[in-house]
Amino acid sequence: MLLLLLCGMSIALPPFIRADACRNISMLHETPSAGQPFAFNCTYPPLTFRNVYVTWYKHPSKIPISKNIQSRIHQDQNWILFLPLTWEDSGIYHCVINDTNTCHSIHVNLTVFKKSWCSASRNSQPNLLDEYKQILHAGNDDSLTCHLNFPRSCVLDSIKWYKDCKEIKGERFTSVGKKLSVNNVSAEDRGNYACQATLTHTGRQYTVLNRITVNITEKVGNGRRIPKIIYPKNNSIEVQLGSTLIVDCNITDTKDNTNLRCWRVNNTSVDIYYSASRRIQEGIENETSFQDHKFYTVNITFLEVKMEDYGHPFTCHAGVSAAYFVLKLPVPDFRAYLIGGLVALTGVVVSVLCIYNIFKIDIVLWYRSAFHSTGTIEDGKLYDAYVLYPRPQGESQSHDVDTLVLKILPEVLERQCGYKLFIFGRDEFPGQAVANVIDENIKLCRRLIIIIVPESLSFDLLKNMSEEQIAVYNALLQDGMKVILIELEKVEDYTSMPESIQYIKQKHGAIQWSGDFTEQSQCAKTKFWKKVRYHMPPKRYRPLSPVQLLKRTPCDLTAGTWEASVGFITP
Amino acid sequence: MMSRGLSVAVPIVGNIQDNNHLVWFLQGQTLLSVPGKHDKVPVTVAIVPCKCPETLEKDRGNPIYLGVKEPEFCLFCTKVGDQPALELKKQNIMELYNRPEPVKPFLFYHNQTGRTSTFESVAFPGWFIAACATGDCPLILTQELGKAYITDFEFTTLA
Repeated sequence: MLLLLLCGMSIALPPFIRADACRNISMLHETPSAGQPFAFNCTYPPLTFRNVYVTWYKHPSKIPISKNIQSRIHQDQNWILFLPLTWEDSGIYHCVINDTNTCHSIHVNLTVFKKSWCSASRNSQPNLLDEYKQILHAGNDDSLTCHLNFPRSCVLDSIKWYKDCKEIKGERFTSVGKKLSVNNVSAEDRGNYACQATLTHTGRQYTVLNRITVNITEKVGNGRRIPKIIYPKNNSIEVQLGSTLIVDCNITDTKDNTNLRCWRVNNTSVDIYYSASRRIQEGIENETSFQDHKFYTVNITFLEVKMEDYGHPFTCHAGVSAAYFVLKLPVPDFRAYLIGGLVALTGVVVSVLCIYNIFKIDIVLWYRSAFHSTGTIEDGKLYDAYVLYPRPQGESQSHDVDTLVLKILPEVLERQCGYKLFIFGRDEFPGQAVANVIDENIKLCRRLIIIIVPESLSFDLLKNMSEEQIAVYNALLQDGMKVILIELEKVEDYTSMPESIQYIKQKHGAIQWSGDFTEQSQCAKTKFWKKVRYHMPPKRYRPLSPVQLLKRTPCDLTAGTWEASVGFITP
Repeated sequence: MMSRGLSVAVPIVGNIQDNNHLVWFLQGQTLLSVPGKHDKVPVTVAIVPCKCPETLEKDRGNPIYLGVKEPEFCLFCTKVGDQPALELKKQNIMELYNRPEPVKPFLFYHNQTGRTSTFESVAFPGWFIAACATGDCPLILTQELGKAYITDFEFTTLA
């Protein structure tokens, strides 16, 4: 009977169905558990979508698997069905897919493991390979799937869900079809699950059990998918012409993004835009992974900034986001220039003032000699200075004062420098009243020269002198006359001096005599005389007789000015 | 070659699965969608964006190259008969990335909404990578969305 059936089948099968002549597509590995139904579908899309001829074999047999639905192992359409699977079913099976002119075969290596279920788990190692792995997303509503892939002839129902061998109950869980909905997934939902279904085939019932290892993924981000460019910010960057510049684009994005990040100019990648010169290049992207996002940096390098780069937007793109920067020439720092200029100016002014202070006397004297008019000043005055001096009691002091006043002063100021002095005791007319002489003549003078000697000697004399009082009175009050105070020796203490002298000292200062009292070697160019001349009125030359001219020693006149003076005055 | 505009040093790697807990699984030279199991380690896919998308359609998603990390395969769209088909080709993904022009048969518009991603063929717009709802079948291209096939996947990075 069996022989007859086999013969009948071999006649029915067309002669081209030969597994070994077919193209091997793949070798699959399956590790199901014994004791429950198992099915495997022979699919090879899109080939198996059409009406193709599928035949199952168990290696090395050339005899096809039975199509008898009562058989424990049989072919149902493109499926091979084990009702149920047993230990002995391990082995290599293959299906042959025949089209009108093609032939493909798929091999399945079946390794049957011992069935393990909660009640039996104490003694048997669970078949981990047969366990499904599924993931639930924390914070969301998600679902588990009970994979029950059987041909249509099998009716699957009464699906029950277990966690850690206990049936799942509760509001958060709903069994819908082959799925278990889990509302508001949390980390506690991690664990070992199982789904159990009743399979009915030709009136017989079987139990299918799938073990599922469930893991929970952390809540990822807030669903924001748009990359964020932190820098640039549509800003401008000041840069010197010709310098090298590197600008980073900083981006945050989701961990699973596939966005392109690049630098563009004129809507073209900089690497393409500057492909010839390579003057501007894009750098290699760096990324740092954080718990819920990634941070990217991609730079743009200007090997040399050129004029054409200014005012041109260089744009960083990250997916749909974009941000640019523009290069700008640096603005000159006017404030720095201003401060520098002021400092320099102040320096110059200070230096000039210092130099002027040091050389003031020389400069004024030089200026007078070089530029000052030699004409007489028409101010109604007759004398350049009135010389006021004490007559000390001591012999030597008195001698020194006389020498200075009557010999040296006239020698230098009158003869060498051309001033005219009024010296009491020399220039008054005999018989004139002293007070009148002073009062009248002092008004004809431009300066008042007061010679003072140290207090111990001069004190009383000077203080009691009516001459002095009249002169000082005139100088200070009436004419606003300039006073030249000459100390014969250093005066340490002015407090014992008359108040008028103290006032003059304070206002005009004093010049201390330096040098000896010999008539020789007095020259207007010494420091002392320069000071005196500085305080004297600008020098002028009265018309002098040629004899007088010849007698004068030119102290501070150059030959040129001398000749000029002569030329001016001789006609 | 390395210095020329290589802003992405390495591809993004990860796993792909769908709402039914079916994972992308490499069997020989075929990409299958199978129920995730301890004995079915999901294939590690590699993704790099196309760096010259100017000539491609905007607003359809990020144009990307999609490959398998080990061994080096890339997903490739071609025509078998009159029907677009999905194939695996031996191809280094970075070599595609570094080409100056987009290589359309290898390109997919990657569109992400929330957690889900779709992969639409650039060579055959309107055709998406799809898996059968029950699992245990190869990935295909389909233009029938929301029917017998799953076109919404979840890409999870390994980094």
